[in-house]
Amino acid sequence: MRPFVRLGSTVGVLALVIAAAACTKKEETPEGGATALTAAQVKVALVPGGAHPYFQPWKDAGGKAKTDFAFGDVTFNETAGWDQTKQNDVLTSLAAQGYNAFGIFGVAPESINSTFENLKKQGFHVGSLASCPAGDKNLADFCLSTDVQEAAYKAAKAAVDAMGGQGNLVHLTGNKVDSNTQRRIAGVQKAVDETGGKVKLLDTITDIDKDLQTAQKAVADLLAAKGSQVNAIVTTAYNPAVAAAGGVKQAKLPIKVIAIDDDPTIIAGIKAGEVAATVLQNPVGQAYVGSYALVKLSEGCTMATPGVIIDSGSFVVTTANVATYDNDRAAKTTSLKSDFDSKYLTCAK
Amino acid sequence: MKQEDTTTPEQPRPPARLPLWANPRIGLVVLLIALIALFTTLRPAFLNTQLTLVPMQADISVYAVVGLSQLAVLSLGHMNMAVGRMAAMSAFASGLLHDRLDAPLILALAGGLAMGALLGALAGLIISRTGVNSFVVTLALDFALIGLVSLLYASFTDGVAFNGLPAGMSSLRTDTFADYCAGDVCGPEIPLLAPIALVAVLVVGLLFRWSRTGREVLMAGSNAKAAELSGIPVRLRTIQAHALSGLLAGLAGFLLSANNGAFSAGVGDGFLLPSFLAPVLGGTLLVGGAVSVLGTVLGTAITQVIYKGLNLLQFQVDELKLYIGLVLLAALSLDRLRHVLAERRGVPA
Repeated sequence: MRPFVRLGSTVGVLALVIAAAACTKKEETPEGGATALTAAQVKVALVPGGAHPYFQPWKDAGGKAKTDFAFGDVTFNETAGWDQTKQNDVLTSLAAQGYNAFGIFGVAPESINSTFENLKKQGFHVGSLASCPAGDKNLADFCLSTDVQEAAYKAAKAAVDAMGGQGNLVHLTGNKVDSNTQRRIAGVQKAVDETGGKVKLLDTITDIDKDLQTAQKAVADLLAAKGSQVNAIVTTAYNPAVAAAGGVKQAKLPIKVIAIDDDPTIIAGIKAGEVAATVLQNPVGQAYVGSYALVKLSEGCTMATPGVIIDSGSFVVTTANVATYDNDRAAKTTSLKSDFDSKYLTCAK
Repeated sequence: MKQEDTTTPEQPRPPARLPLWANPRIGLVVLLIALIALFTTLRPAFLNTQLTLVPMQADISVYAVVGLSQLAVLSLGHMNMAVGRMAAMSAFASGLLHDRLDAPLILALAGGLAMGALLGALAGLIISRTGVNSFVVTLALDFALIGLVSLLYASFTDGVAFNGLPAGMSSLRTDTFADYCAGDVCGPEIPLLAPIALVAVLVVGLLFRWSRTGREVLMAGSNAKAAELSGIPVRLRTIQAHALSGLLAGLAGFLLSANNGAFSAGVGDGFLLPSFLAPVLGGTLLVGGAVSVLGTVLGTAITQVIYKGLNLLQFQVDELKLYIGLVLLAALSLDRLRHVLAERRGVPA
């Protein structure tokens, strides 16, 4: 029996080697997507990295974009579950169902370019929304996102101001092994460095944006251990912001909290003077203008600079402008759309 | 002189022949075919080659190896809770070799496999020397490695991933055998990752079926005391099984890095659940002593088909989890029912 097995496997291996040696790779077919579609043929998929309150405005913004720009369909799919492999699976599933333009928040900024490349090879248009790929290359048609380092810098500056220019600062943020978190840490560090040593970064607590309970526990631990030494907390992720606002209020400590985004508890905290400031992003603008740009690209427009990175805006909100902040955000969205028409898109007609 | 026994000794009754329905693998194949038929009927896009079948084969390749990694220690009745982090460390080793020493694809792979095998052997050594439960040891190792992976990426890269991939790794991600032709004859639409996983499946299958080491591992898993008394070096076999588990975790990390397009800290994050699901669904016992390599592959395929099918049906995140849970519970219950029926009829299932 054994000699036959040996002979069989040798012949098999030889056959494989000969077949492999005779093979040549097929010529790459040129990238698809050259065929222009009508607006009615465009089906936009807005795909966040997973379920998170930040992305909820994308649903309404996508729906409004569909009505305003009269394109075929829009869907919102958050089943990726913060796993890049699952997100890739969700994206190909959506493509198989006829969705042909994608606004994506990549789960893994360090490898999302491969996902963009795969989709573009199939002839689809892709916008990187709310987060840009790590590194200096963006293989999506465009990236429309908060400049996270700049937003963290603004937040930390607001914290330094709120604490009177000196004291101890703590930074609460999200997943450490995420390049966006690294950018946020760099933004906060920059603001701290600018104080020339007057402000000390006491701690940077990462990996607490998974859910509200995790964040609340981390804030409670922080306040119990170092509450009396902390002068201000800057948060650059959603759940830690809500937890810090609530935790500091409950502990009745004189700590200035700089939050992120506009959860109702945070806005109420600003109105009541319990939260010093919050840095808002523009998720509505990202989904609305992103969908618009994807439709225009599908209709035959091209990007003047492929892969251009566009800041969707970040806004510091304090008691002074808490009543009017949404006007600024709406104005930014309008100006982003005009910028696409005038600067970023090149259309034949 | 001993007198020869002239009476014919009573032959042991041959075991009842396994009927087709009692073969667990047949059951899994039937279930797989039924699921494919169901999802194809509901969504014809399920048979789309480029968008569904090719990505699904790539996912099956990765997760089958993940399942085999867990199967290697389930053979002993042990668990490897660090399967994901061993994959992450292996991916780091591969990335570092390529980034710093410009190692080609094969050397990067070898380095990753060596790292995985070493970590597995370390876990096996601790378990066999201290007698502490494998669950506790590998869970502790997982925690330690989470921290180490973050620290290493922070020290050796700008962010959380290596920028480059060895030449040829992009082809592993994007190409199928249909892209390679000898004259007019091109290969099938099977991704290049698949044969790598197939080699792992064959090697592990042959190891447990034919090799002395593999059989001894299974005997140690079935009854460690009896195995030891029979002269089997149980400690050595424990270390070897864990080293194999680490090596396969390393291979899975390499395949996922190729599939996702980066050696990153996030590799292996989602490995733990599928690592148990596939072998257990495939008929591997949690208590040790029996493994099913083919069952593991079928278990992986069933899980991925369910994921893909539910994704195509656009289930939202909570529904997706609910239905995957229900389908798997139903599959496991049917398998249990089949076992009970087989036992009643005196057939070993």
